Amino acid sequence: MCPARFTRTTSPRPPRAPHDPSAPGGLLRGCGGRCGGSRGRDGAMVRKGPGSAEGWVGAMPGGRALPGAVGALCRAMPPPARLVPETLRRAKLDRPQATLDFWRLLYALLKQIHGGKWSEADVLDTQIRFVKSALWYQGYGRPELHRLPSDGSAGSRELLLAFSWLLHRISLLEQLLARNRVRTGDETSVCMCEDDLSQSEQGTTEIAPEYGPEDRVDVRYLQWLNGRLRFQWRSLHAQHQEQCKLLHQIHLLTSGSHVDQILGHFSVTEMDLIRQPENYKQLVQLLELETMQLEAFLEWKQLEPVYWQWMETVLDNMAEEGNMCKPQDAHIEKSSLPKVTSCCPWADSLTGQINKLSRDLMALRDQLHELVTHRKSAWEEKPAERRRLISLQRQFPAGPCEPVLPRVRGLGKEATSEVLELGDEAKSLGAHVKDGREGSPRALVVPSNEAVKCQIKNRMGDKCDKNASKGGIVIFICVFMRSGCRGM
Amino acid sequence: MSLVTVQLGQCGNQIGREVFNAICSDVHGTHGLCSKKENESYHDACKERFFIEAESGVPVARAVLVDMEPKVISQTLSIAAKSGYWKYDDHSHFCQKQGSGNNWANGYTVHGPRHKEAIMNLVQKEAEKCDRLGGFFTIMSMAGGTGSGLGAFVTQCLRDAFPSSFILNHVIWPYGTGEVIVQNYNSVLTLSHLYQSSDALLVHENDVIHKICAQLMHMKQISFKDVNQVIAHQLGSVFQPTYTAEDGLHYSRNPLGDLMETLVPHPEFKMLGLRNIPQMPENSLAYSTFSWPGLIKHLRQMLIANAKMEEGIDWQVQPPRPGSSVPSSHSTNKLLHFNTSIANLVILRGKDTHSTDLGSFRDPSLYTSWLNPQDAFSAWKTPRAFNKYEKSASLVSNSQFLLKPLDNVVRKAWNMFASKAYVHQYTKYGIEEEDFLDSFTALEQVISSYTTL
Repeated sequence: MCPARFTRTTSPRPPRAPHDPSAPGGLLRGCGGRCGGSRGRDGAMVRKGPGSAEGWVGAMPGGRALPGAVGALCRAMPPPARLVPETLRRAKLDRPQATLDFWRLLYALLKQIHGGKWSEADVLDTQIRFVKSALWYQGYGRPELHRLPSDGSAGSRELLLAFSWLLHRISLLEQLLARNRVRTGDETSVCMCEDDLSQSEQGTTEIAPEYGPEDRVDVRYLQWLNGRLRFQWRSLHAQHQEQCKLLHQIHLLTSGSHVDQILGHFSVTEMDLIRQPENYKQLVQLLELETMQLEAFLEWKQLEPVYWQWMETVLDNMAEEGNMCKPQDAHIEKSSLPKVTSCCPWADSLTGQINKLSRDLMALRDQLHELVTHRKSAWEEKPAERRRLISLQRQFPAGPCEPVLPRVRGLGKEATSEVLELGDEAKSLGAHVKDGREGSPRALVVPSNEAVKCQIKNRMGDKCDKNASKGGIVIFICVFMRSGCRGM
Repeated sequence: MSLVTVQLGQCGNQIGREVFNAICSDVHGTHGLCSKKENESYHDACKERFFIEAESGVPVARAVLVDMEPKVISQTLSIAAKSGYWKYDDHSHFCQKQGSGNNWANGYTVHGPRHKEAIMNLVQKEAEKCDRLGGFFTIMSMAGGTGSGLGAFVTQCLRDAFPSSFILNHVIWPYGTGEVIVQNYNSVLTLSHLYQSSDALLVHENDVIHKICAQLMHMKQISFKDVNQVIAHQLGSVFQPTYTAEDGLHYSRNPLGDLMETLVPHPEFKMLGLRNIPQMPENSLAYSTFSWPGLIKHLRQMLIANAKMEEGIDWQVQPPRPGSSVPSSHSTNKLLHFNTSIANLVILRGKDTHSTDLGSFRDPSLYTSWLNPQDAFSAWKTPRAFNKYEKSASLVSNSQFLLKPLDNVVRKAWNMFASKAYVHQYTKYGIEEEDFLDSFTALEQVISSYTTL
């Protein structure tokens, strides 16, 4: 899966410099004239070998704006996640030194997004696995990233791509800012997120019940556990009610005291501050930090297009390199979901459900297919069956079928043969003959063709008159609903 | 975390008053035997649990008083106010002008619905005064007439109005040779109805308390007041603040919830018995010393041998050896003597509680086979002594304590019912024979559940 196409910029694009021999216009995914140029302000192509050190200024389009954008981005990152412009630059050039920084950065960011506890102590291997799983969970399926080595030795450009993808795709900065807000304490909600469950898994002190030798559990024990759970739920409910009640009291008792007229009352944090004034320093620090982040974020938003332009150059570089040195194993790996570890239990259940769903669907499809073929064969058998019956009757006129037709007494042999003839004729015209017992008249199904109908009628009429003295022939016409056939 | 007490009938009101008295005198006493800080947090926890701070400074009990006659209630109110330490809310009671006959069915089907709104209004008001409603604690007698019927109805209303709150019913088991002829009918009906709506039934038997008064407290003339005071002492020892966790930093704010969770999660097993040691006359307290190992040993044997008090314990009864396969007849014999527990809760109050060893209570042979001691046994402790006892231990037990009394009551009631004696008194007010049969069935189910532990 390719990363999403970056947003188009509106600034005019300088044409691609002819410096790069393997870069015709249509190189990059049929982008035509839309390719971002790696042209500097002075028009010189600046893509140099890995050994040289480049400065930011003058090297990229939108010159001065880029350091501003990158700086704002770095400042807008929440404190545990550290990012410096140098890392970004190194990553563009796929320097290995930037790899570790990027892994750590992504780890910190993704942990925050998923509400987990961020701990420095986690081993690099675990961090890398977590990042890969989390990115997969978010929908980033670029195989090159998932094939990166677990020792953090290479792949900083891939990580840069992933980082930018995250930035755009899940509104990374907005989410982080929302999560790290200074809380007023007035929030009351019942959180149903599964994310919180993964944290509590570590804290269980419940020892698993020891099963008997037959490995069965007494149902009374299960009832016991169920009862305990319900009581604990009720206690939680009572606590929640208490919290709401106290919150209401705070609001009630401080109404009219707030500077903000509309709000009118203090929040929990403000109340706390009144009770313990020495905490104000900490609060001020937090607020200042948040303000700084918000300001950086606003700055970033203004300069964001420049960053994306720069990212396009990264993509260009990547594609060039990709074409120049074809990957050894050209065949695409079957995209299987990576093994999720204990760091992402929610992804585990999700993939399990998806697998189950696909299995069920396949089974259903097979069953349907079976049913359809069965039906089809049964349907096709019907006319075959009838044809068989007809041929049987022909051979043995006194066939054992059709008890429904009335008898006619004294139907002469010649009449019978004539009716048979008629039957053949009618058949040749497309009718279907239903044979009756010996002595009973034959039934005719007549096609809807009017001319044929008349013809047969006339014929029948002659015969009837002829045999009227003999008691008449009752011709019983049955109606078969076959495609196009009508009864008389 | 506050409990709302609902005192029902004459019995309930008198006992309730004694309970609040005991709690209050414990809190104001100077025999805490612990640090000042500890004492203060104990005091605060207790106050939050049972009382509301009023403008006058005298704490007001969180209680609703209900009775058909005005006499007992007015007595209760005045005695409480006289103490000076606490009082009842003047508006938080309900009574009728005249009594209404001693009839369970009358209380349940007539008076209950008639006065439901008034009573529930009072309860609602008390509940709203709590910052956090910790549950309801109702006190009533089981075999009384109108009081018991009304009590069963009120419990049902509580459950309907507060579906997720904890309801603990404290019931007084009547004397075996009681004066009321139909007391067994009343008991059966009350128990079966309470079993449906309440979370747990904590039982005190009048006979037992009477014996305690006679033998342990050495009282000659035992009045109801004495019995009530012993009951109040035992209840106080359970419901006063404790630390429910091993390393708890503050007193538990959820006494009923914790109690329910450890003892009665299973819906079939709701009968709780209560034992408390030591129990002695106040004037002997100063001359006695206690040791935790001794107290714990006695308490454990009281549990195993189903002894009602610390004198006359049968020390021969021992738990069955684990793994010994006994033939069924032998095991039934054993069952009659040995008291199998489902779950136990031990509450220790006083000096050096942190060093006590409760390992003997964690013996798996004490408990039923489908529950292991980790789940079945809990201990609450506090260093603060209770009611002048330097060390005291209480046991709340969900076990076969009440199997025999229950069996007796049901048997006697059934014998009466078989000859339809006095049933017309109930059918007159709408308790039909089917209702009786339902009650019998429910209690038989309870008996069989407890027997096959």
